[in-house]
Amino acid sequence: MNFNQLVLNSPRRLALPISMSPGLALTGAKVSDIVTNSQAQLDAQAALQQRYQSPFVLGAMDLSVEAEAFGCTIAVSDSEVPTVTGRLITNQEQADKLAVPQPGDRRTGVYLEAVRLLRQLPGQPFVFAGCIGPFSLAARLVGVSEAMELTIAEPELMHTLLEKCTDFLTNYLKAFRAAGAHGVIMAEPAAGLLSPRGLSAYSSVYVKRLAAEASDEALSIVLHNCGAKLLHLPAILETGLKAYHFGAPMDIVGALGKVAPDVILCGNLDPAGVFVQSPPAETTAKTAQLLAATAGHRNFVISSGCDLPPNAPLASLDAFYAAVKTANQ
Amino acid sequence: MADLNQLHDAVLNGDAKTAKAVTEQALAAGHEPLKLVQDHMMPAMSEVGRRFECNEYFVPELLLAARAMKGSLELLRPLLAAKGNEPVGRVALGTVKGDLHDIGKNLVGAMLEGGGYEVIDLGVNVTPEQFIAAIKDKKANIVAISALLTTTMPAMKTTIDALKAAGVRDQVKIIVGGAPITQTFADEIGADGFSESAAGAVSAARKVCLA
Ligand code: B1M
Repeated sequence: MNFNQLVLNSPRRLALPISMSPGLALTGAKVSDIVTNSQAQLDAQAALQQRYQSPFVLGAMDLSVEAEAFGCTIAVSDSEVPTVTGRLITNQEQADKLAVPQPGDRRTGVYLEAVRLLRQLPGQPFVFAGCIGPFSLAARLVGVSEAMELTIAEPELMHTLLEKCTDFLTNYLKAFRAAGAHGVIMAEPAAGLLSPRGLSAYSSVYVKRLAAEASDEALSIVLHNCGAKLLHLPAILETGLKAYHFGAPMDIVGALGKVAPDVILCGNLDPAGVFVQSPPAETTAKTAQLLAATAGHRNFVISSGCDLPPNAPLASLDAFYAAVKTANQ
Repeated sequence: MADLNQLHDAVLNGDAKTAKAVTEQALAAGHEPLKLVQDHMMPAMSEVGRRFECNEYFVPELLLAARAMKGSLELLRPLLAAKGNEPVGRVALGTVKGDLHDIGKNLVGAMLEGGGYEVIDLGVNVTPEQFIAAIKDKKANIVAISALLTTTMPAMKTTIDALKAAGVRDQVKIIVGGAPITQTFADEIGADGFSESAAGAVSAARKVCLA
């Protein structure tokens, strides 16, 4: 069963928070363990799954791993997901010469292995891998701030990088499928900062291409964009995908009114505002509010608008799941 | 003869080459540097801010407009200083220690420059000591701190506390902002002003200086 079938056929409302970090509170591992060790990912997801009985498990969301495979340097810390430092590419010549890595290179192997391990969990949960989207990857290679300007100032450079990023991601997705993933959550956060026209030209075109090559009935792609607003939606839908995951800036009720009933939308509780800065009672209330606002939309899956920060307390996630359970009673 | 409307439009359209060329022509034709800034570049940046607020412009357009303005300002700044034209205020701007996000901070800097402030951009991952040095050595009278992570928000308070400990807190007004920052948080940590947008940072700076 693919993701869309699973959601649309579910008799109850499903929840898919993007959460790896809260699992660390249960296993005692550090973020640095998660991003280097597939067993640590499995342990954290297994602990979360046992606690919440979720039908989904997720590989960690680490948006530095693909850029590192291309050769970017990263800064590692115990408590944060690694961050890309500096710029790997500063001009067209470097972009032309850039070699495309293979799935399995550097730490991408950890994430492929994590999927294999997650598939062995009891209860056969739906296994999501996580990866970056083509524009966000290209932006990490050239510098995120710089990429913004280059979309207007030097489109050719960006398109050269995007071609290479798309080639890599197509193969990476195929490798995830071969490892047993049922779906991939592909994060395209930097594209949310572009105009709808820019998003269409620098993200949707490439996502559409790689999805056509790498996705099929056996691999669902959920495109995540935590910065997109409602005005971006038509440009995002140009990808032709059947499932999307949005952040807090999206008017999710408005978006549900604009997509076909068989297109799944997930989102969009603010990870910082709702899961870190609010006490659990407020997390419950905000979760319940969103569920009430989206009642009747079978194609909506409640989620955090993005990856939960490492300092999100487990009590917030408990409160979130409690609200979902109440709504299902 | 320089067409000064072109300067306005070049900044608005993020065309750094034209902005610089027209500025050079205007200076050669004897135009007052201050008037170029006040009558052409500041209105252009304020229009850029308006377009951003109402989703006509996005981050790329804003960053390019900022670059175009910066190019012209580099030509004008020494002339303004030589003529004794003081900036409205001198802002030490930075993203707080531990935080590497600079897009929002850069936009705030551009809007402040477009609003007539001199901006001392301390970059990202800025330590309290760097802010203190900018106050002492560069005579900044406003400190503007950006944070994008919930985990780095506490470093804003640490920075303000360090300014107090160094005895420079009363020499400056402090404004804070960034996606997770709220007015309540700004009040809690003892900041003087807060804005949730780049354009609003200019009004916040004006307001705190009048207070
Ligand atoms: C002084 O007065 C003022 C007044 C107003 C002020 C102000 C100061 N400062 C800002 N404003 C205001 O004016 C601006 C214009 O109106 C606004 O500025 P903003 O900065 O809010 O808005 C900008 C114009 C556009 N927004 C942005 O530039 C941020 C966009 C997103 C996608 C983002 C980006 C681009 C990046 N990131 Co990061 N990143 C995300 C963001 C998710 C999202 N979709 O928003 C966010 C902020 N990141 C996050 C995270 C977790 C991280 N990031 C990280 C890294 C990065 C990149 C380096 C890849 C890149 C930054 C590149 C750069 N040069 O800045 C890591 C941290 C690194 C570090 N130590 O700082 C890392 C930890 C993840 C990782 N390890 O990869 C999340 C923060 C969660 C939280 N609240 O704690 C996040 C919300 C994504 C998410 N997961 O939900 C206002 O806030």
